[in-house]
Order: sequence, then C-alpha cells, then structure tokens
Amino acid sequence: MRAGFALLILLLATAFAGAAETPIPAAPARWVTDDAGFMSVDAARSLDRKLEAFALATGRQFIVYIGKTTGGPPIEDWAVRAFEAWKVGRKGLDDGIALFIMADDHQVRIEVGYGLEPQVTDLAASRIIREIIVPRIQAGDHDGAVTAGAAAIAHLLSPEGIGQSDGTSRQPRGPGTQGRSFSIWQLIVFGIIGVLFLILLVTHPSLAIFLLMNVLSSGRRRGSDNSGGWGGGGFGGGGGRSGGGGASGSW
Amino acid sequence: MRNKTGLLIAGAFVLVVLVLGLSVAGSYNGLVRLDQATEAQWAQVENTYQRRADLVPNLVETVKGASNFEKETLTAVTEARAKVGQVTSGAVQNVVNDPAAFERFQQAQDQLSSALSRLMVVVERYPDLKATQNFRDLQSQLEGTENRIAVERMRFNEAAQAFNTKRNSFPTVLVAGLFGERFQSKAYFKSQPGAEKAPAVKF
Repeated sequence: MRAGFALLILLLATAFAGAAETPIPAAPARWVTDDAGFMSVDAARSLDRKLEAFALATGRQFIVYIGKTTGGPPIEDWAVRAFEAWKVGRKGLDDGIALFIMADDHQVRIEVGYGLEPQVTDLAASRIIREIIVPRIQAGDHDGAVTAGAAAIAHLLSPEGIGQSDGTSRQPRGPGTQGRSFSIWQLIVFGIIGVLFLILLVTHPSLAIFLLMNVLSSGRRRGSDNSGGWGGGGFGGGGGRSGGGGASGSW
Repeated sequence: MRNKTGLLIAGAFVLVVLVLGLSVAGSYNGLVRLDQATEAQWAQVENTYQRRADLVPNLVETVKGASNFEKETLTAVTEARAKVGQVTSGAVQNVVNDPAAFERFQQAQDQLSSALSRLMVVVERYPDLKATQNFRDLQSQLEGTENRIAVERMRFNEAAQAFNTKRNSFPTVLVAGLFGERFQSKAYFKSQPGAEKAPAVKF
C-alpha cells in the first residue's frame, strides 16, 4: 500500500516534470516587441516610448509582446509562463501587466500581475479585448488595435498614481513566514555549538575560522536572488508574478 | 604531550558534533521552508476556488431568468456548489497533509467544474441569454477564474513536488523521519479525465 503510494507519487512527479513545454523566448529588451510584423514600426516605437514613460512615472511595468504563435499550447498557458519567465513588474508588488498577441494563432491575451488584479479585473480586461482590440483587428487596423488597447489598459491604472497598489487581493506567499516551533531546541543547539566553537577557536584557530567562513558564505548564497529593476530605457524584469488573471480573446 | 592528544580528541569530537548539528538544522529548516511554501500555495488554490464558488449564485440567478431554462442542469450546479461549501468550510483543516481530505476536496471541486461546463454547453441553446451583457460579463469572470485555478493548481503541484523531492532524498529523509507526522509527503492535483485543455476554457 505504502509502496504503491510512493510509486504513484513518483509517476506523477515524473509526469509533471516531463510535461513537454514549448520554450518561451528570451525576455524582450523593449517595452513593445513585435516579432510578427503585426504593427507598423512607427506605431510600435511610439507606443514603446509611451510605455517607458509610464513605467518611469508609475513604476509599473506594462509590456506589449506580439509573436507569431505559441507553438501549440493555449495562449493562457503560454502567457502565464512568459510572464513568470520575464518577471514583469516589481518584486513583492507584482504590479506588472502584459498584452500578448499571437498573430498567426489569431489570439490575444491580457495577463495581469497579482498586484494589479483589483485595478484590471478579468471583466475589464475582457471588455477591452472584446470591444476595443478585436473589432479594430478585424477591421484591419492593427496599429489602432494595439495602441487603443494599451491606452485603455493604462487608463485603468494611471488615475491611481504611484505606489498605491499593495496587492490586497493576494495571499502572503513564499518563504516569508517560517515556522517557529523549533526555536527553543534551536537555541540550545546553537548554544552548545557556540561553546564548542569557542573551544575549537582556542585549540585550532585556523580550522575554526575556515568553518566560520564556510557557514557564513552558505548563508549568504540564499539571499542573493534579487535582480534589480531596469535601466537604460529598455525593459528588464523586476521580479513580478501573475496568477492567470486577465482575459483572452480571438478574432 | 598527553594534554595535546586530549585537545585533539576534543577538537575532533567538536567537529563531528558541529557538522551533524548544522546539517540536521539545515535539513529541518529546508523542509520547513518548502512546507511553508506549499501551505502558502495551497492558500492561493483555495482562494481561486472560493472566487469561483462566489460567482456561482450570480450565474445561477442570471441563467434562471432565461425562460424555461433546463432545470436539471441548474440543479446540478447548485448541488455541486453546496458540496464544495461543505468541503471547504472551516471544519476541514489541514487538507494539504491529509490525502483523504485532499481527495474529497478535489472531487467536490471537479464535480463543480463539470457541472459548470455542462451549464455552459446548455447555454449555447439559448442565444438570447448568451447575448446579454450580464451573461457575457459573468462568462468572462468565470473564464478568468478557471484560468487562475489552473495556474494555482499547477504551482501547487510544483511546490508539493519540491517538498516531496527534498523530503524523500538522502539524507533529509532521515531528518524527516525523526519528526514523524510533521513532514508527510504531499498529495498532488490530478488532471480531470477529459480536461487536458483545462486552461483554455472556451464555452
């Protein structure tokens, strides 16, 4: 019974690990990336400048990515993985947002970071897609679709000002809250280790210092997971995350 | 001379204790960290499911308004919703560490999923209802929520897998054994039969 359960877990684990996933392209360097020749170069450049100014003014990262195809998986799936890989938005605030268009798949998606879910609800995102983006694309006005869609999204975000979003709809996540049930035991162990270490320091100073360095450096390795914001005008992920919020549509 | 040998032995002893203590503490803390990450991710999963459960009454009301809508379908949704309420109410704690409770939770939620998708199929036969703004809004909210559920479930499985891998690998498995029930292997979400395309909810 127990072995069967273990085997089941093993099978499931390998099934999940082995789930073939189409690769996500490298993170874009600009705010607007058009890999499908969907928009005119001028319109893309102009929108890129606007989104850069938006990021500088509000701190919120809003990117537009236009590709040809997801290569099979649904755009929702692709978008959430791209968002995760590119780390759109600031770490902790998760206030990034992305507009994805897959030109050959005829699909569009707005992916909203956790922190912006109160401002850009699924309903609002869905309406922007249904009423602004898709009709313009169907009418052949690609530039207008992307520009007006982006403007409508930015409009939902900008009246709020800088740094107001605190991601209220979000549960605390990650390794912030560690269990404390160990503390008394831990204290005793650390006390013993401390005394023993002092003895060692007297008898074998060089060995003691070597050990100390080792412990300190292994402690530091864990905390250095902070890829900073962005600079030099281009887009660079700030560490934001999304949880599948937003909407998608097709034309 | 004898003094020196004594110190040497003491030093070796200290070294062994130090290394052992550090590695046990390190393993324990690593397990606690991954355990907490799983709990946090579980909270996200419950959150998204709650979000869906909150949408259901509104959806049922809207659909009910349509003339002579199929009663059976609506009843199935309402019943599945009630069952979900029982499974997720405060009485059920520690779902993550109890495989049976986990199974019940998943079964109830999956039942609601299939009742809802059946409802959406039936709605196709009521074009007037489908065209109303109210229904379209509810539909996009439901789609968004189903997508969130898929994402958070996937991340829960990742977190649980990270925990289980650590828990069952050597030498952490020895440390986990010391604490008995505290660090049990976590269960995974299994995809529903016939729901491989779950993230793309196209009604």
